[in-house]
Amino acid sequence: MIQIICPFCGKRDHSEFSYGGDGEITYPALDANEESWHDAVFLRENIYGRQIETWQHIHGCRSWLLVDRDTKTHEIFSVKLAHLDWHILLEKNR
Amino acid sequence: MKPRRVSPPISNYKIPDYDINFFWNGKKLTAKKGDTIASGLLANQQDIIGRSFKYHRPRGVMSAGVEESGALVTIGDGAYTEPNISAPTEQITEGLCVYSQNAWPSVRFDIGSILNQFSRFLAAGFYYKMFMGIPPFEWGRGTSIWMFFEHFIRKAAGLGRASRLADPDIYEHLNTHTDILVIGSGPAGIRAALTAAKSGADVLLVEQDFLIGGSYLSQPDKIEFIELTEQLTAKNITILTGTTAFGLYDDETVGLIERVSDRHENITQKLPRQRFHICRAEKIILATGAIERNYAFINNDLPGIMTVSSARTYLNRHHLLVGEQIIISTNNDSAYETALELKNAGANVTILDAREQIGDNLLQKIVSNQIHLYLGSAVAKAENGFNSASIKKIQIAELGKNGWQSAGSLRCDCLLISAGWSPVIHLASHQGFPINWSEENACFYSSGNSKTIFLAGSAAGIWNRQGCIQSAIDIFNIEANANDSAHQKMGGWDTPIKPLYEIRLASLKGKAFVDPQHDVTASDIRLAHQEGFISVEHMKRYTTLGMATDQGKMGNIIGLSIMADALNAPISEVGVTRFRPPYTSICLGALAGRHRQSHFKPIRRTPLDQWSLRHSAIMTEAGLWRRPWYYPEKGEDLNKAYIREATTARRSLGICDVSTLGKIMVQGPDATEFLNRIYTNPFAKLPIGKARYGIILRDDGMVFDDGTTWRLAENNYLMTTTTNNAASVMTRLEELLQVRWPQLKVHVTSVTDQWAGCAIAGPNARNLLTNCVDKPDEMSHEALPFMGVKQIYLKNIPCYIARISFSGELAFEVYVPSDYAPSLMQMIWQNAMAFDSCLYGLEALGTMRIEKGHVTGAELDGRTTIDDVGLGRMASANKDFIGKSLRSRQMLASPNRPQLVGIFPKDKSKKFSAGGLLNEAGKTNSHPLGWVTAVTYSPALGHWIALGFIEGGLQNTKDKQIILTDELRANFLDIEIVSPHMYDPEGTRLHG
Repeated sequence: MIQIICPFCGKRDHSEFSYGGDGEITYPALDANEESWHDAVFLRENIYGRQIETWQHIHGCRSWLLVDRDTKTHEIFSVKLAHLDWHILLEKNR
Repeated sequence: MKPRRVSPPISNYKIPDYDINFFWNGKKLTAKKGDTIASGLLANQQDIIGRSFKYHRPRGVMSAGVEESGALVTIGDGAYTEPNISAPTEQITEGLCVYSQNAWPSVRFDIGSILNQFSRFLAAGFYYKMFMGIPPFEWGRGTSIWMFFEHFIRKAAGLGRASRLADPDIYEHLNTHTDILVIGSGPAGIRAALTAAKSGADVLLVEQDFLIGGSYLSQPDKIEFIELTEQLTAKNITILTGTTAFGLYDDETVGLIERVSDRHENITQKLPRQRFHICRAEKIILATGAIERNYAFINNDLPGIMTVSSARTYLNRHHLLVGEQIIISTNNDSAYETALELKNAGANVTILDAREQIGDNLLQKIVSNQIHLYLGSAVAKAENGFNSASIKKIQIAELGKNGWQSAGSLRCDCLLISAGWSPVIHLASHQGFPINWSEENACFYSSGNSKTIFLAGSAAGIWNRQGCIQSAIDIFNIEANANDSAHQKMGGWDTPIKPLYEIRLASLKGKAFVDPQHDVTASDIRLAHQEGFISVEHMKRYTTLGMATDQGKMGNIIGLSIMADALNAPISEVGVTRFRPPYTSICLGALAGRHRQSHFKPIRRTPLDQWSLRHSAIMTEAGLWRRPWYYPEKGEDLNKAYIREATTARRSLGICDVSTLGKIMVQGPDATEFLNRIYTNPFAKLPIGKARYGIILRDDGMVFDDGTTWRLAENNYLMTTTTNNAASVMTRLEELLQVRWPQLKVHVTSVTDQWAGCAIAGPNARNLLTNCVDKPDEMSHEALPFMGVKQIYLKNIPCYIARISFSGELAFEVYVPSDYAPSLMQMIWQNAMAFDSCLYGLEALGTMRIEKGHVTGAELDGRTTIDDVGLGRMASANKDFIGKSLRSRQMLASPNRPQLVGIFPKDKSKKFSAGGLLNEAGKTNSHPLGWVTAVTYSPALGHWIALGFIEGGLQNTKDKQIILTDELRANFLDIEIVSPHMYDPEGTRLHG
């Protein structure tokens, strides 16, 4: 029953959100080789502690978010829009 | 045991004093308003209330709260039946029907009690051992002996039986928000609520009992309590009684179950039976109290044995003296107040204190009130009378030089036990806050998280009232001065507790219960240890200790101490199992709330839903949608209807609601580039006014979805997706645009619900539409070629029209804003009357797509590659797209992968159904070669056909004889593997 502070919509129940995946993966270019795609798609750390995750505010503004969360305590340290340009704009106009 | 009513000690607390009737196993009994089932039964001298889980031993009231292990009853009749109710927590209402459990023919004379004599075969893990067979020849090894005995065991063991009828009550869900939530309304809880309210905070006080007050209700003097309740009212504090905080969850969320209407009384208002609150608070104060413990000695489960504090509750709250000859066995100071009150109420009281000395203060009071006191003593065995199941005598154990030794006996009609107190730390444990063992106070305790979750009062291990109250005040003080550590200390008795968990004398034999509700004995724990189940988590599951409805509220610590003793380790090292929600049993109905039957999930209707129903459609649920399944004419069933519909569409004209297709607007200067990256086939050169079929892969190279995308303008596309994947494709596009390619200037908008669509298919499709346009040449092949898209007016209705076909016929899809859908459909249907035409539903749609070998979710199940479904030519070699890299993994290129094929029965008259596997003849026992995904009768071909996957596809099975095996239906069929394009493989019909 965690709550996530969506940068657009404010503090909302996690049932409004949908979990994406590991937010620290950098996906290779489309023409990158099989090996680098393999690593990006299949290799995952199973972190017991802090990690960056992607979530989508699917029943809200539909933003994709980067959530810095502790998998052990469920504590959330920060939430940012995954689209960094949008994030900067939002912060500027806050 | 002959409990009797006594006059209230102090008459300053006005309680209603009138009689109400209830029924005990069908017999009418009288109780007082305010009685619980337990006090009402005690007042009627019912000493045996239930039979135990395994051994069918007689059990009476053992407590006055949720920890009750003896007095479990079933209440209500028919659909209102509710089993395993803890009798001390349920209020008696007029006419309430209460039944005993697990006894036949009656609770006083129960045939099942013979099991008590066979108990040595029923020790811990007996059912696991049954799988090993009966020695010496391991007779019945495996499951057969279990299968044989299971029936008897299931019948003999257990508690109450639930009703098989549907729950007739209604339940509600609520989201409740408050600044401060206080759980428990005893001295600490009330003080916490009042202190919190001073700062102007919004306070919610919840109490599981049907009255607030907690331990105040068990006190003779209620002056202080009455003052406090007035203050609560004055401070506008919200109070919910009959409300259990059953679980503590992340982010200060608490699950509350509020019992609203007592369904057993006449209800005039239509209220829900219970409300399930998801309560969110800034701060939570757990003032949940403590539970008094029992200890293990022989026959410690006899009727007439209960905790000391419960006797106090029955005396001061229900004005019921539980016995005349009362023995109290204690190891702490808390029992003495009760002893004095029982003595004053007229009972003979004897105290056995396990400690060898007590404070002078207490000693003086005891002596001056003529209460017998045996120091260094405890109970070794309880015995029932010759003609009674209740306690009549105890064997005393005395602390001698070599430990406990036998020291004579005493007669009694009631035995009260206090072997210490366990703070109710369940909620703190739910969140995984550290649980520590206090050697000094012989209990587990928790400190919450000291930021938002606090424990106060006896829940924090504080044993005297003033200390409890101060601990509640301190919570708010400590916040003001973060460094102030002068908070209330645990404990609070003059003489410390002397740990007492078990009295075991070699000379005495019998069962000493650790968890009476599940009939777990001290020897079961030792057996678990002996057999190697020494971790508490293993011991718990092997013996089932603490796994009954009370979740080991009273017995767990005894079990842990016996294990600690066997391991020769301190309890702190043995540890404790983590508590799980719910704290007490809750109704599943409350969790379901209104989400049941037709409200289980919303019905998603297409804009043509009502129109279709008016045209005799039978609807079906397809994914999230309700869609027309078929449109029966007189006397037709599904099979006749869909065959007629598909035949008519192929022969002349069919019309179908296709509004459920996912529709996404893809707009912006980079829209073309975006589409080119996500689709496997090129989109860069799609002309305006044309549609293209495309396939989207996942990153791992598997097929994700397919559909057509229409270029409406330079930077404006309408993408269609499969019905089922509409939402996930949208989410995927948003992820790509926001997370992976933020530099692309593209905006996507879901317009699935904004646009309704209808497919017009068949050789007469163009003729019909020509009749609907102003200038006939608007619908010519040149004006609207295959895969052409344009805006058009059909009888003044503005539409988008595309010449695309799922049926394989000359076909068009027409889209209008949803509000126009019924008028469009009505107009088209009226004009279709001039032709041999029909409306067709999902079943006929499916038939035609199987005939054509068009894939849907049944084939694109996330395990198939684009090559597996025979569309490899759609993967461009000249551009990059999502999934390109991993789709070329070596194993995915294996020619032996299962590939899409068509399936014909060898004998064309044979019918077959979905769910079969494909095997080579003579090898039906080996790993199958493939499977069937979709089956239909094909009106176009005149026999049953199917789509499926088979290793190596058509190429690899040319010379093999393949059998479709359907083991469940004992159906084996010779089949022929054919191309998936079973009808009109050249596509000549498509072009009209």
